[in-house]
This record gives sequence, structure tokens and C-alpha cells, in this order.
Amino acid sequence: MTTTLAPPERPSAVSERHLARSSAARQRRGARVKLWAGAFCTALVALPVALAGLLPLADPNTQDLSRRRLPPLTDGHLFGTDQLGRDLLSRLLHGGQVSLTVGVLAVVVSGLIGIAAGSAAGYFGGWIDTVVSRLLEAQLALPLLMMLLLVVALFGPSVTVITCVIAVAQWPEVARLTRSLVLVEREKPYVAAARLLGLRGWSVLARHIVPNVLRPASLVVLLLLAQAVLLESALSFLGAGPQRPFATWGRIISDGQDYITTSWWLVTLPGLVIALLVVGVNLLGDGLRDRVRTHKPAKGV
Amino acid sequence: MTRTPPRTTPTPPHETLTRRTLLRWGAAGGAGLGLAPLAACAGPTGAPGPGTLTLGLNRSLVSLDNKLNQFDAAVTVQRAVRQALTAIGPGMKPTPVLADRFEMTAPTTWSVRLREGIRYSDGRPVTVEDVATAVRMYGEVAGSFVLGLFPELPSVEATGARTFLLHTRQPVPVLDRLMANILITPAKDNRPEELRSGVGTGPYRVVGANSGAGEYTLARVPRYWGGRPAVERVRVRFVPEESSRVVALRSGELDVIDTITPDSAEQLTGLPGVHLEQTSGVRLCQLFYNFRKPRDHPLADARVRRALTYAIDGESLVRDVLTGSAEQAAGVVPLSLQGAERTGSFVHDPARARQSLKSLGADGLRIRIMWESGEFAADTSVMEAVAEMLKDVGVRTSLLQFEPGGDILKWRQGKGGDWDVIGNGFPGPTGQAVTMLQAMYAGTAEDERTGDAFMGYVDPAIARRISDAATEADPAARDRELAAAQHAVWDTWPCLWAFVPKTLLARRTRVEGIGLLPVNSYDLTAVRLEG
Repeated sequence: MTTTLAPPERPSAVSERHLARSSAARQRRGARVKLWAGAFCTALVALPVALAGLLPLADPNTQDLSRRRLPPLTDGHLFGTDQLGRDLLSRLLHGGQVSLTVGVLAVVVSGLIGIAAGSAAGYFGGWIDTVVSRLLEAQLALPLLMMLLLVVALFGPSVTVITCVIAVAQWPEVARLTRSLVLVEREKPYVAAARLLGLRGWSVLARHIVPNVLRPASLVVLLLLAQAVLLESALSFLGAGPQRPFATWGRIISDGQDYITTSWWLVTLPGLVIALLVVGVNLLGDGLRDRVRTHKPAKGV
Repeated sequence: MTRTPPRTTPTPPHETLTRRTLLRWGAAGGAGLGLAPLAACAGPTGAPGPGTLTLGLNRSLVSLDNKLNQFDAAVTVQRAVRQALTAIGPGMKPTPVLADRFEMTAPTTWSVRLREGIRYSDGRPVTVEDVATAVRMYGEVAGSFVLGLFPELPSVEATGARTFLLHTRQPVPVLDRLMANILITPAKDNRPEELRSGVGTGPYRVVGANSGAGEYTLARVPRYWGGRPAVERVRVRFVPEESSRVVALRSGELDVIDTITPDSAEQLTGLPGVHLEQTSGVRLCQLFYNFRKPRDHPLADARVRRALTYAIDGESLVRDVLTGSAEQAAGVVPLSLQGAERTGSFVHDPARARQSLKSLGADGLRIRIMWESGEFAADTSVMEAVAEMLKDVGVRTSLLQFEPGGDILKWRQGKGGDWDVIGNGFPGPTGQAVTMLQAMYAGTAEDERTGDAFMGYVDPAIARRISDAATEADPAARDRELAAAQHAVWDTWPCLWAFVPKTLLARRTRVEGIGLLPVNSYDLTAVRLEG
């Protein structure tokens, strides 16, 4: 007769409490908090901006000169009115559409350029790598805002020009990261296998390597969105934004600064909205990056 | 067999100074040391010294010469370095400066005598040759603002070491006032261009200049012919942002800021150490039509131009946007100018505007309004308000704003691109209506060939009337002719809207003696610093 004995519980000095306090667990919790806080802040700004046309708001350009600079929560104006009696909340949300459209378009374009150039440089090396690397180093050496102002001065301020300018300004970040990721990926066995199967270089890159570097690269693109919105606001603030009557966040702040001591809301509220969006997007990007780090994809993808 | 109880991990006592704690303290201390200098940013910076007066201009003073560039506030600084034979003083009367005698001896002849003992800041004496060369150089420069004020430039005939005659083909009864705009420079140094350097006869000389940034440092001329100025040094700074100028004045970094908006005045009113000065102005700010349009363009029709004026609620703009710091124009020049005539008023009637535009086939009109930032106080707000008013009558507008230093001059001359309305401020530097009319409405086809007719306005009949008035020696007859010319101009509806702003200036209370003139300038030699 055989008797099966349950193995005795292995003694361990590590308790549940210790595990909860471990840095891995702390990072996981931090990532979750960042993710939720970022998503909340971003949604708090991006959703009303996206739905501005559907919300019961006054027209952003309708003036009432007799009701200039009304403080917040006055006569149905949640954020008050500006120097021409226009509803500030409405202008912020409609202006946000311009700012966010410029930001999103710019990061999409810069993402595409950066991923294409970076992956080609990383995979093929040689003269392609040399050209791309020298180009991005040269661009990184230039003072960004000065360069943007120069280009806008040359080609004139319009939504298209500003989008292109910000896109071109931001591609080096994505290209650099993509290049380094591709350098790692191209040495992996699945790439060698694909080559042995007779796939050509561009096919290997497009069908096997790029899909594997897309996720980390797209996280950088997301982080660049905050920078793009800030750049657009900075250009508008400096008078190089899209021509009037487009209301953009930078211009609303620029116009409001003349009234900073008498009508605080004209500068403070747009500033808070920009800060909320930028912090939100950065937290969201950070949270997603941390999640990617802690949840590594299975080997042999 | 006894099971060994699990040992609990000993926790370090809190009072122990761990390496991590030490690093944290070190980092906090380092950050404190590193950030400490930033505390200095909280206080006022760059405050002027006790003997230095700092002026904050809203437009960039690219030169201390005035051949191409003479906005109101620049006159104060330009005249501190270079002077003319006369100046427009209090009461808008001409006062002698370099000349001690300036008399009309015949309808086309003026006798002038230079003041004895006047010298440039480098010690050279002022000669009749300098005057003759200056007049010639102003005539040769292209795109001159000053040249447009003159019906014709005089010729200079020397009659002695200090005396000369000014001859004109036609009588120019206001020549003594006009000559206040011709700044005298040594003949050897004068060129038919805006001079970037050189000396003048004024109470100050330039000791530091960065014309690209619009910054100058002036120092008192030790042996100035007119007596020692009270202020030792004057710093001129270009601060385009109004809010920055207001903050700099409040902190004491600037002593005087000019051409401020009523909203900024509201911020500064009642502040300790700050005083506001206001006087009536002689500058005309207008939304002027482009007169270079082809004949079949709607804006080439005076009836369409008039219909558009009905869209503008001028009273509301003056009351709410300019907060009472301006008056709607009731003529084609400010009524405070001598010889100005009340010709009509702007009427707000949007229904009439819509109806008239429709009946003239100009409904659905699109117009482009352009202006340069700082052209007049609250320019952006006025333009945005006007655009919205035009939208209400079915006219779609696009706004084109130029930053200072842009190429709006080319656009004004019709060489940059197409536009329909320009926001423009025009000074009345002589206090005479005839000068302003001459510069704006007496353009000829010949002027227009080089783009020098004011916004392309060429009407030979009106130009002839103005020229006749300008050369009429009898004041009563001149005023009659001028009045007729002004009515004729008004009937062409040259402006979408126009207003005359008051002149507003803010100063620190340590600055005394600023006698602000309606031409928005003052004599720097009269200014004192107390404390």
C-alpha cells in the first residue's frame, strides 16, 4: 500500500506584503495609475474638443462687444468671455480642434517619415544609414523653434505649412529609436529564416521587422503629440501660427496676455487646458511604455 | 524534528543614516543650490540707473534718420539726435530750431538764416551746403514718406555763410512747417537712403546702436548749442508686446511707454509710481481700400465701397473696443488739423449694406484685410471685430497680419500681393490738413508707376484741387479750396472706416517734464529725472 504524502509547504521569507512592496509590483501599479490618470486628463480635454460642434456652445466667433471680458460663470459663459465678448470655452474647444489637428497630423507624418527612414537605416546600413544618421544629427543640432520660425517666415503661416514644419521637425526622434530597434531585430533568427526562404530585403523589412518595432515606435510618436501641440501653441503665441480668424490655443493666450492683470481667465484657463492635455498625453505614453516593458511579447513572434 | 520558525528580515532602524538617505539629501541640497539663482528672476531686472531714461517703443526704430520711417513715437528720438530748421511745437505752431529766421519774402521765396554757433555733436559747424544736400537727398530716395508731404521740394540758394533762400515753383505757404521734417546731416555724410550712422546737431549723440533689434543708447552732447539737457543717458528699446511693456513699466525697467491701449491704461491707472498722460491726437487710423483694383472689380465702384461702410458699427468699436480713447472720423483728415473740414459721418446700417451690395451685384464679396501689428493701438481687436461685422452682411473676409519687420511696404506698393483693405495709421506731422491731403490724395499717375501713390489712390481732379489749395497764399481762399477737395475725396469713399485716436503715454513718476504733443512726441531736452 502506498501512501501519497503532500509535500510540506516550503518555508519562505518572502511574504505577500513583501511582494506587494517589490519594485516590479510598484512599477506595475505606477503604470496602471499613469495610464488611468493620463487617459482621464487626455479625455477631459480631447473629448470636448472633438465634440465641440455637438455641444450646446455659442459660436466661437460671434462677438458681443457690450459683454467683453466677463469673468467665468457669468451669464451662461462657463469660462467667461474674451476681449471681444466671445465665449471663451467655445473658442478654446474650437481652437483646440485646430491645435489638435495640427498636432495629430504632424505626428502621423513625422511617425511615417521616422519609421521609414529609421528602419531603412537600421536594416540596410551602409550609405543609407550614413545619410539618414547625418541628416538627423544635423537637424538635432539646429535650434528647433528658430528653425520653425524661419520656415514659417519663408513659406507663410498656414495650417498646412505649420503641420509639415512640425512633422519635419519631429522625425529624428522616431527615426533614431526605430533604427536602434531594427538593429536589434535584424540579428534575430526569424529574420535569417525569412532571408533563407528567399525573401528580398524590402520584404523582410516590411513584412517581418517593421511589425515588430511598430509598437515601441508608436509609443514615442504618442509622446511627440504633446510636444507637437506645444510647438503649435508656441508658434501661434509668437505670431507664426495659422492666420486669423483661426483660433488656436497659443493665439488665445497671446491675445489674452494684454489683460493678464485685469482678466486673469483669458490666459490662465487656456494655459490650464494645454497643461492638462500635455500632462495627460505624457502620462498615457509613459504608462503604455511601462506596460510594454513589463508585458514582454512571447518569444519567436 | 522541530521546524525552524521563519526568520523575519530585520529592518534597518529609522535613525540610521543610509546611503540612500544621504544621496537624497545631497540631491536636494544640490537642487537648492542650483535653483537659487532663479530667485533673482522674481525681482525687477535691468532697472535703469539714476541718470538714465529708458524708453520702450512699440515699433522698431530701424534708423535715427526719417527718410523712410517716421512713426509718431520715433520723432522724439530722431529729433534728439538730428534736428531740422524748424519743429512743430505746442499749439501745433512752427518754432525755429536750427534756423533763427524763416520768413516768406515772396510767394515762392523764403529767406532763412541759420542760428549762430550751432555745431554737430562732433564739433563741425552747420553750413548752408548741409541744408541743400539734405533737401536733395530727401528728393532722391525712393518710397519716401516725407517726400509725399511736399507739393514740391524747394531749391536752396546760398546768399551768405549763414543765410540762404528757399525757392519753389509754386507758392508753398506751409513750407516752414514742412521743413520740420527735413533732418540736417553733414553734407559729406548724407546719402539718398536711410542713414544708419552719422552725427546730428541734437542734444544727444548715439553711443550704442543695434538697429536690427531697434535698440539705441544716446549720451548727452557736452557742448550742445541749446543748453545742457537734464538727462545724461537715454536708452531706447523696442518692446513689441504691449503686455511686456506694461510689466516692464510697472517693474521700473522702462521709464516711458507710448501708444498704449486703453486696456493697458486701465491696468496702470492708480498704480503707485506710474502716471498716465493723454492728449488729443492728429493721427488718422483708417481701413483704407486698395485703389489698384481693376475697373470691373466691385471695390473699384465707389457705391460698393460706401455700401460696405454701412456694415461697420463704429460707435460700438469706439465705445467697447477702443473704450472711448478715440473718435470716429467725421472727415478725411482729423478735425483738429488746421484746414480740416467735416465732410460726413460713418453710418451703421447692416440691412442697407446687404441691400445695397445685392442691388450692386456685390453680394458674396470676399475681401482680404491686411495690417501690420502695432499700426495702431488695439489693432488686432479692431480687425477681428470688423471681420465679424462684415460677415454679418454676407461679406467673407480673410485677415492677413504682418509682424513688424515684414514686407508690408511691398504689399502697400502693390508689389507683394493682392489685398482689398489695409489698416493704416497716418500722422499729421505739420498740424495742417493740406499736408495730410497732399500725401494721401494728391498722388499722380507718375507716382503710381513706382507704387508711391498712397494705396494706389490717383484722382487727377482731386490731386489738382489739393495742389491748387497747397499753393494758395491767401489763407481764406486756401481753406475754401481745401474744403471742396475734402468733400470730393469723401465722395469717393476711400475708407471702410476711420477713427482718430487720442495719444496715450505712461511714465514712471520719476520722469518729469514730458510735454506730450498731439503729434505723439515730446522734447527730450525738457525731460528731467527725479530720484
